Amino acid sequence: MLLLLAAAWLSWSGPYTLDGWMIPLFGLASCLFVWRLYLALDREAGGDREFFHPAAWLRLPRFLVVLVFRVAMANFHVVRLIFAPKSALHPRLRRVPASQETAFGQVLYANFITLTPGTITLDLRNDELLVYALDEESEADVVDGSMDRDVLRLEGRSS
Amino acid sequence: MNGALDVATAALLVIGGLFCVVGGIGLHRFPDFYQRTHAASVTDTAGAGLMLLGLMFQGGVSMVTLKLILVLAFLLFTSPAIAHALVKAAHGHGLALELEVSDDDANPPAGTSESGGGGE
Repeated sequence: MLLLLAAAWLSWSGPYTLDGWMIPLFGLASCLFVWRLYLALDREAGGDREFFHPAAWLRLPRFLVVLVFRVAMANFHVVRLIFAPKSALHPRLRRVPASQETAFGQVLYANFITLTPGTITLDLRNDELLVYALDEESEADVVDGSMDRDVLRLEGRSS
Repeated sequence: MNGALDVATAALLVIGGLFCVVGGIGLHRFPDFYQRTHAASVTDTAGAGLMLLGLMFQGGVSMVTLKLILVLAFLLFTSPAIAHALVKAAHGHGLALELEVSDDDANPPAGTSESGGGGE
């Protein structure tokens, strides 16, 4: 984690600032400070780390492709709705199951839904999401569980 | 080669800008608060995403592109978090949802109401 932070700091400040001694020292100090914060937060959260095994990283590119595709399709749909008459809106609220095993997976799923235009996660409790959607078509991928399966696949639970 | 990249950048910037404008129009056209958040998420994803992608073509394989990718990644995490926080806060404080279909006992559908309450 400390190495990751140092790499992040280096990429933002640029390697050319390494000439003197003061700026690298500030960089090191800020890295240590953020690392300290991270450890405190991690203790608070109880260390939910199961999600970050190497296999999940390998599955990440495929998930990102699916995510970009779904967000793009939803964007076109919402743009269509924006220019449609107001009677085209059929707002709805639904409970859908979040079957991910880790808390991180569930939050990822909720964020995925919210990121997709046309659907917003209102609440997450008892392994269920409360999803607010603009109309039937925008909630379709959530209700039939295909977005749920996308996240499950990233988690590595189903084929 | 460079010309093609410039054209791609220009096209992506213009299309991204269009999505931002359309999101803005939606922000005005949609009748109530909750639906307006949806319009705003068009600006967040398509608008910002396409513009950043266009800028990445200018950066090439470099530090600049790495930073742009990081900007995009942070945006992908923060914008749904903010949208969720907004909507949940509004919901928690009892701003009425106008629904046609609802699975939630606490929020029964209010019939097929057509009036959206003009707002501004």
